[in-house]
Amino acid sequence: MDLDSFLLETTQKDGVSGYEGAIGDLLAGFFSPLVDEVKEDNLGNRIFYIKGDGEDAPRVMLCAHMDEIGLMITMIDKGGFLRFTSIGGFDPRTLPGQEVTLYGREPVYGIIGFKPTHLWEVKDRGKAVKMEDLFIDTGLSPEELPDKIPVGTIAAIRRNYLTLQGGCRAGKALDDRAGLAVLWECARELKRLRHRAEVFLVATVQEEVGTRGAVVSTFGIAPDLGIAVDVCHGSFPGAAEHEVSPLGEGPVITYGPNIHPLVAEKLRETAQEYHLPFQKDFSPGPTGTDARAIQISLEGVPAGLLSIPLRYMHTSVELLNIEDIRNGGRLLANFIAGLDRPYLEGLSCF
Amino acid sequence: MMELFNLVENLTNISGPAGREEKIRSFLYKEAEAYGDELFIDALGNLIVTKRNPAGKKLLLAAHMDEIGLMVTFIEENGFLRFSAIGGIDKETLLGTRVIFSNGAAGIIGREKLKEKEVAGLSHFYIDIGARDRHEAQEKVKIGDTANFYPLCQRTGSRLIAKSLDNRAGCALLLQALKNLPATLPNEVYFVFTAQEEVGLRGAGTASYQLAPDFALAIDVTRTGDTPEPEYKMDLSLGNGPAIKIKDSSVICHPAIIERMIRTAEKNKIDYQLEVLERGGTDAGSIHLSRAGVPSGALSIPCRYIHTPGEMVDLSDIAGGISLLVELLTEKW
Repeated sequence: MDLDSFLLETTQKDGVSGYEGAIGDLLAGFFSPLVDEVKEDNLGNRIFYIKGDGEDAPRVMLCAHMDEIGLMITMIDKGGFLRFTSIGGFDPRTLPGQEVTLYGREPVYGIIGFKPTHLWEVKDRGKAVKMEDLFIDTGLSPEELPDKIPVGTIAAIRRNYLTLQGGCRAGKALDDRAGLAVLWECARELKRLRHRAEVFLVATVQEEVGTRGAVVSTFGIAPDLGIAVDVCHGSFPGAAEHEVSPLGEGPVITYGPNIHPLVAEKLRETAQEYHLPFQKDFSPGPTGTDARAIQISLEGVPAGLLSIPLRYMHTSVELLNIEDIRNGGRLLANFIAGLDRPYLEGLSCF
Repeated sequence: MMELFNLVENLTNISGPAGREEKIRSFLYKEAEAYGDELFIDALGNLIVTKRNPAGKKLLLAAHMDEIGLMVTFIEENGFLRFSAIGGIDKETLLGTRVIFSNGAAGIIGREKLKEKEVAGLSHFYIDIGARDRHEAQEKVKIGDTANFYPLCQRTGSRLIAKSLDNRAGCALLLQALKNLPATLPNEVYFVFTAQEEVGLRGAGTASYQLAPDFALAIDVTRTGDTPEPEYKMDLSLGNGPAIKIKDSSVICHPAIIERMIRTAEKNKIDYQLEVLERGGTDAGSIHLSRAGVPSGALSIPCRYIHTPGEMVDLSDIAGGISLLVELLTEKW
């Protein structure tokens, strides 16, 4: 399997926060040939464990979340139109016209509809649509719906994986299937490398609703060091330069109070040593990634963050450059191969 | 129903703002004492009643016993009290609300005149305890004292109106289930009356850390969508049965627990509703994230006007919840 196939398959498997069973099973299949053990914890985090080489091995955890934002049915409205709420941060303006898969008693397709512009009052035309103006239409009758699509049914966005020009790929849920692809590339690289460290590659659950999976995976694994692998905003017209990173110029190493400075520095040094492209970013608060949970777990865990630049975050046409993923995997594998006890001891007394 | 009404009435008549749960806790302790193998009060003030079965799975049930309240922050020279909120006080319902302090001092909430288009904030309100000046006020209350809404429980058919039905309705459900259960259960069960839920699910987090359960259920109230123009549209009504939570802001319930609750309700022909709560949290939020994760769910009692002096529940929903919980606890998990 190549990287494109990994991204294609993982973006075509739904995994809305709290309902990551199917994407977790798919990932377990992809990772199992590359690792020594596959585990699942109480909340459904998938843990792919690779043994270390030698005694007193450092324990390093890499987290990429496998959940994606989605929708949940709140009520069946008159005429059989389904009202919904969002699981994670959907911008309602991106939802009209989307196709969804509803996971009721059996999977059913639907589309997200709303009042066409012709029928709006002239003064209201062009105004941003709100979540309460939208509904899901399945074609099922009001009589059939309560049994087939009960309140609480999950809906995931449907969208093909698209190969664009210049190494670009577009699709849904690349936040954070891109991060999982980095972990997978890293596992492949580690096959060729000697590393003292024990490695826990974690596909976390429920990041989009508050980094919940990483809270419990960090407690369960108790790593010496943890790195979140996620996406960050790629550059596009109209964005302030300091908020975005260009696509194709390497993964982004984050600095800031959520990040242990020596973890970020070692990532940078590793990239330079192996002539891998990288970018730097500064985040002044707790990052919106698993790193925020990792850092304050147990007695405190040195945290790092590596991100893949991605445009149009939380839409169904998230867009990235596949080379950034490849380089991210190489960077993390070489970072892990360079870990030893003296470095870890340096993290707590610098 | 009369017995259940009396229990809920007694529970809502007692004070217990978050952090000051001693009165409600001692009432619950006395009620539960004869039914648990062990009773224990932990460092945060959670009351933990255990029914032992070392061979079974460990189940944690959490109903918070604290309520929202007010805390005195400043006593003015003319004897009026300024206060801050303990938990989510709804400012719209404050004016004219009667309150009572833990020492029995009575007060009424007044508000300053608002400027045109000005929105009332907590700082516009004060508590009037009838004191003529600061000196007289200080004889009754001091800074840091807590008050809660004045208790008055009224019954109207199967429904009742009272303060702190959030979550004394849940406490009644949990306590009555404990009383109705046989002496030995197939699981080890911790009935926890938690502290400080209203200020951030705090008691449940530490109780869960200490007990390290295999599974957990929170028992709490939830909103309804059956009133005129509700803030959030939802398919949930008073009197249609207890609700099995699917999600709220604090937790996405574990699918296996949701499935078990639905299966048990259907098998025993207990009416239930499904709850998708867009805004609000419950103890399951902190429990499911404790230690290496605890698969969790929640059993909810539909409740109107949450966090006002006049919350409303239907006794039949509590009764249905008791039946469902008893059935769930007599199954092997």
